[in-house]
Amino acid sequence: MEFVTTQIAGFWIALAELASDPVTYVYLIASVFLGIVFGALPGLTATLAVTILTGFFSNKFPLEQSLIALIGAYVGAIYGGSYPSILLNIPGTAASAATAMDGYPLTRSGRGGEALGITTTASFIGTLFGTVCLLIFVWVLLLMSKNIASPEKALLALFGILLSGTLMSQDLVVKGWIAGLIGLAMAMVGLDPILSEDRYTFGWSYLLSGFQIVPVLMGAFAIPQIMDGLRATTMAAQIPQVGRIVPKFGEVLRRLPGITRSGAIGTGVGALPGVGEDVAGWVSYGVGKASSKEGSKFGRGSVDGLISAEAANNAAIGGALIPLLVLGIPGSPPAAALLGALKINNVIPGPTIDPALILRVVAILVMASLTMFIMGLFTARIFIMILRIPQTVFLPVVMVLTTIGSFSVGGGVNDLFLMICVGLVAYAMNVMKYPIAPLVIGAILGGLFDETFRRSLLISDGDPSVFFSRPGAAILLTLNVLLIMSQLPFVRRRFSRLRRNKETPA
Amino acid sequence: MTDRTIMRRRDFWTSIFLIVVSAFFLYRTSLIPFFKADAAGVQGAWFNSAALVPFGIFSALLLLAFVLLAIAVKDGGMVGALSARAMGFTRSEAERLACVALILCAYIFALVPRTDFIACSALLITALIWGFHSGNRTAMRLSALMILLPSAYALIVHFPRDQWTKPHDDDIIVLIAFLVLTALMFLLSRRLGIMGRVVRITPVIAVLTPLLLVIAMAFGFRQNVPNRQGLIFSKIEYHYYVTLKPFWSGN
Repeated sequence: MEFVTTQIAGFWIALAELASDPVTYVYLIASVFLGIVFGALPGLTATLAVTILTGFFSNKFPLEQSLIALIGAYVGAIYGGSYPSILLNIPGTAASAATAMDGYPLTRSGRGGEALGITTTASFIGTLFGTVCLLIFVWVLLLMSKNIASPEKALLALFGILLSGTLMSQDLVVKGWIAGLIGLAMAMVGLDPILSEDRYTFGWSYLLSGFQIVPVLMGAFAIPQIMDGLRATTMAAQIPQVGRIVPKFGEVLRRLPGITRSGAIGTGVGALPGVGEDVAGWVSYGVGKASSKEGSKFGRGSVDGLISAEAANNAAIGGALIPLLVLGIPGSPPAAALLGALKINNVIPGPTIDPALILRVVAILVMASLTMFIMGLFTARIFIMILRIPQTVFLPVVMVLTTIGSFSVGGGVNDLFLMICVGLVAYAMNVMKYPIAPLVIGAILGGLFDETFRRSLLISDGDPSVFFSRPGAAILLTLNVLLIMSQLPFVRRRFSRLRRNKETPA
Repeated sequence: MTDRTIMRRRDFWTSIFLIVVSAFFLYRTSLIPFFKADAAGVQGAWFNSAALVPFGIFSALLLLAFVLLAIAVKDGGMVGALSARAMGFTRSEAERLACVALILCAYIFALVPRTDFIACSALLITALIWGFHSGNRTAMRLSALMILLPSAYALIVHFPRDQWTKPHDDDIIVLIAFLVLTALMFLLSRRLGIMGRVVRITPVIAVLTPLLLVIAMAFGFRQNVPNRQGLIFSKIEYHYYVTLKPFWSGN
């Protein structure tokens, strides 16, 4: 009990410190605004918003200010994706794809303002829900993480890459796994973490320190978006009329149980390593449809459908930060970008993380969600106007932003060369329908996997039983094996046959 | 022809490429000491070799590439895999994509390291907006050409790395290319009837974006910016430290 009161007191102190500093508001307003703009403009993503800001802030600013800017942009961008989904039927980010299912029909029936208002409220409550879960579960996991040693870390990193590859694949699961392996292979470049052996540098001294994470992130997420956006000519969008945006209090109160349920789903999915907001939105939408009394209305302009997707994708932010802060394993692609920023600032997330930093992150999330809520309700018309900018105008500007951001992190042109090479490969992978998120997750977690895997064997003197003799490792190994098995054709066939037999009794 | 068929044809070639790449990297990994991996005073064994995890990764990649190949062949991906059209690539699409890729590569590999960032970014923004907004093929080709010419000059004349950060003539060439492209944009847009609001604001976006960005990065965010000796940026930096800062400080 004393622990709980101490943490709550610590949180209030962190919140009061943040709230009493005027600089906080400048950073929050600017970053949340920028985040919403990035989310609202189709072709730009939350990951890109966080990555570009990482390039600007890198290690020249105090960590707290960098975190305010990055978390503000993250929260804003996930919410901002709902604007084009609702008004134009074009998801601003992958996380808002489920929002378009009901948001656009509502706009077509003249209820666009109402849809925006309830989305803003659901996103706000969802973010707060995820934040509360972060505050609770991060401590529980931190206590548990005392038992997490190298074998568990290696298996968890592998699970994150496999899960991300499985869930993010649009075509074949094998492509997701290949993307994850390419990311892992990228992490092998440079001096190895145990013996400092030179690997795959081909005589290029720049590669001795391995691939820098920010140019990889920018290359993987920005360049394909720019190339794809410029490949297709798009004209400025015709924005429909929206009415009153501020929702009615009674309406919000009535929908609160649904928002809370979606928040719980979003946080849970967000906490899965490498999965993220877009999967959270769809899972919550599916559960909402199955459990709602008006499930048949989903996809035809249902407010329940709208809030189930939006509350979940914002709640996933808090969820995604849980494994990031406790284990150094990002829960989503934007969280991976945030990990890059933390590493640039010499903060190594994991069991040894400074507890005060966690409280500050929670306080920043609360303030960012409040800023997003106020901006969303009272300045929504500005963001609606921004939707009129065609992709071909803002994407070249993003290219220049990306270039200078990537350059400033490393301070050399080699980072730019790496960025464009990764970008071209990522674009080719996009065309072949390979998901990019597993590649980035693999590139980030590859070093951790390599180090912890070999350290485990080193401790056990080469005995592989270290990966199943410890309870935690055994569970994680089972999860990895089950995940791989679940995708094997003969296992899938057997499961579908079993399901069919259950459905049609003899 | 379905999207699935096209995708499997592409998968066929991708899997072959992946097989070759993973085989090559397996060979490279075999050059890293495995059974006697002593290094930095640490006595080595197979289980702490730097080659252990890479062997696993590239073996798994090779295996998955074969799985992908099997899927592609089973789903008919081998049939017509030699024809570009059967692979789903159209000529206009390929040309558009090649132009975007060439412009981006020329900007990153040739212009940013060697020329003034404001001038080359203004050229890039103009080339990308005008070249790709209207969908006009002439605009696209001209934009690509106008960025490739100064890039080729910068690459050929100032190739050695020690020359990159020195002020030289390629800054002027880039500036001229930007002005010529802007003039061409206005002339041809009027002639082709594609003169719209976007064309009119392009020069403003092209100049203001990199200018404000560089100033904010260098003096506001105190970050490193590319090519500080560039024609325009060096003047800005000089006047910031020699004219403006002493004035603000009251000296």
